[in-house]
Amino acid sequence: MRLEMENVKITDIQEADKTHVENGVLYINKKELEEVILEDEKIASVEINFAKPGQNVRILNVQDVQEPRCKVGVENADYPGVVGNFCIAGQGKTRRLEGAAIVVSNPTTRRVENGLLDMNGESAQITPYSKKCIVSLTYYPSELAEERPFEENIKRASLRAGVFLARAAEGAPVDSVDVYESSPLDEKAQGLPRIGLVLQAYTPQFDYMAVPDKIIYGTAISGMLPTVLHPNEVIDGGLVGWNAMKAIDTLSFQNHAMVREMLSRHGKEINFVGVICVTANTMLDLRMRCSSMVAGIAKHVLCLDGVVVEKILGGMPHADISTMGVALERAGVKTATFTTPLTSAGTLGDTILYNDKELDLIINAGNPFEKTTFKFKADTFYGGTAETKIYSSEQVPQFAGDEQIRVEQYLIAGCQDHCGSRNVITKEF
Amino acid sequence: MAKRVVVFLNQFFGQIGGEEMASVGFSVKDEPIGPAVAMKMNLGDEFEVVGTVIAGDEYFAAAPDKTAEEEGLPLVEPFKPDLFLAGPAFAAGRYTVSCGAMCKAVSKALGIPVITAMDPDAPGVDIYKKDVYIVKTGNNAREMPKTVKKMCALAKYLCAEHTEKSNMFSLQYLPDPAEFDYIKMDRLYNIFTEETVAKRSVDKLLQKVRGEKYETEVEPDRFETFPAPEAIKDMSKCRIAFASDGGLVPKGNPDKMLTRSNLKWKAYDIESLYKDYEVAHAGYFNDYVLEDPNRLAPLNILKEFVAEGKLGGVSDLFYSMPACTTVSKQGTANGIEMAKMMKERGDVDAVILTST
Repeated sequence: MRLEMENVKITDIQEADKTHVENGVLYINKKELEEVILEDEKIASVEINFAKPGQNVRILNVQDVQEPRCKVGVENADYPGVVGNFCIAGQGKTRRLEGAAIVVSNPTTRRVENGLLDMNGESAQITPYSKKCIVSLTYYPSELAEERPFEENIKRASLRAGVFLARAAEGAPVDSVDVYESSPLDEKAQGLPRIGLVLQAYTPQFDYMAVPDKIIYGTAISGMLPTVLHPNEVIDGGLVGWNAMKAIDTLSFQNHAMVREMLSRHGKEINFVGVICVTANTMLDLRMRCSSMVAGIAKHVLCLDGVVVEKILGGMPHADISTMGVALERAGVKTATFTTPLTSAGTLGDTILYNDKELDLIINAGNPFEKTTFKFKADTFYGGTAETKIYSSEQVPQFAGDEQIRVEQYLIAGCQDHCGSRNVITKEF
Repeated sequence: MAKRVVVFLNQFFGQIGGEEMASVGFSVKDEPIGPAVAMKMNLGDEFEVVGTVIAGDEYFAAAPDKTAEEEGLPLVEPFKPDLFLAGPAFAAGRYTVSCGAMCKAVSKALGIPVITAMDPDAPGVDIYKKDVYIVKTGNNAREMPKTVKKMCALAKYLCAEHTEKSNMFSLQYLPDPAEFDYIKMDRLYNIFTEETVAKRSVDKLLQKVRGEKYETEVEPDRFETFPAPEAIKDMSKCRIAFASDGGLVPKGNPDKMLTRSNLKWKAYDIESLYKDYEVAHAGYFNDYVLEDPNRLAPLNILKEFVAEGKLGGVSDLFYSMPACTTVSKQGTANGIEMAKMMKERGDVDAVILTST
């Protein structure tokens, strides 16, 4: 499968009569953008704001972050099953507005744990998202909307908005092109170790109101059997973000670092055969079924020599990492399994939630629940107000307007992600 | 203005006398004595050693923390120190404990940097390593010059105003354990690395697949295995208690249990708990338990069994340790305390552990 990713670099964002891109500036006609969004009758209104690096802006109630993208030269092929019609994601040409991001805010949510993004101050030092040109979309529901489906509505509307913006860059010079092309049958890859990625993309323990998020081709994956994907499907709209910030969002999937790392080595050091997409499981029989099937697919269908088993947010998903890893090792597939230490007290050895002797290569992917105390006096709030409550696992009341807040890193949009893109390790002090 | 330093020493290094003087009480000098002279030289002009506090090893031995808090601390406080150093104590049993106790008391009360130095196998290490910086030494006082130098290097780092960009996601400035050679304090923090998680994991997996040497990034502790206790023969005489990590606590969470990384436990009166409660646990959606705590631990069913004569009784206490993503060692320690309490009360024959 071959995907050409056309990168159009965005370095500034401004309001204009005509939506287009010129000299790296994304010009947006807010009225046009609003019309695209309000095609959905569940959305009563949307506030559109721009935020740039260095501005004293704090964005609140963040539920997703997305990179504006569109398919080129083909209709209805964007985010198949979510925005476009069903088709295979990952082929042909895609245009991305590199350096721009859409931030989705839902201020009427009843969730208590919500994301935030500062464009300046101390927390802006630890997330790459603070360095992007942001289109902040704040949504309000119509009377027809219900809380849980509304989250899907606004995620979809934002993806449509991103398609609209990327299309508007038609004619703007392309700064660079990345080609993602791989097949297990590629001649150059024969004889190289056959490598796969086990991508744990979701965990049902976060099924808010007992409803799972729809993240793969428009459907939910709670309880799903392992699914084999081409790597390009992951980074080109086959997967979208969750409905809440959990150190994973649409932008993390679109730029999935594990997938891109393996693709970059395909035909050179490895034969990147494919991605096995799984969910974590809360029930033992689901977990064991999934683990055994992953091992079967890896060993006997994809004929892999080694896999990286990547972990999603939470403590419980470690159990699935462990049972999948053991099943894979016993089947003869070598593993590197992820762990995310989840507390700041203790040693690495006593915080890890599995200890099977078969799993002897454990990757320390950082602690998304670590807290950062940071100062920042915002003068503008999008997606909320100075009175918006900020979640504290220590149960200390704090508000967006406070000069100093203490926040777990998974709630700082982009600070940590579960796709391997961050330069992070948890270290003992 | 120079930073004010107070040093704690035992009777030997404080130049009072050897073991025959080990029972001597506290004394204070308003100048550096013994190792404190070397510290003064190593610390340089930006620091001033304003006092030395001395006490005998044996004097401290009976109740180290109490002695430090009630007698030692009041002698340190008047100096208004910015830094507190103790020892080095090397491998000396009682001295490592008194140094640890003094550092802990001063740190807790004054919130200033405190540093001592010990052999990693010395008794003071296990007791105080979580609370105070302990620079590593060998077991011989010949290492005095080297050790004092290391203590002073760490002191300068801890007292410095840091303006460089922090390499920690928590934006703190913690000294590197290898560079400053101190005993790790059971703290875990995210730091920035050269390479992404993705690059590291593919590199390491390839080493493993090719049969080359590879290094894991985490070496897990091995859990203890133990035989299951004998089954209960007669349930109609058996009294049961609930212990749960599900986060059930009285309304208002009076003990301030954390929703994540909680380390505490408490036994609550079960009847009042089931009437007025909340949940301190961020690892699952609490809705179902908030509707009915019997879903977490089925008190209603046990009561039915008791009424029908199938079960001997239910403990009037609910043993609660909210434990979302916490430290397994702490779970073991708390479990031992719970078991001890149950044994002392003598009203429990079996425990049902419910998790989430």
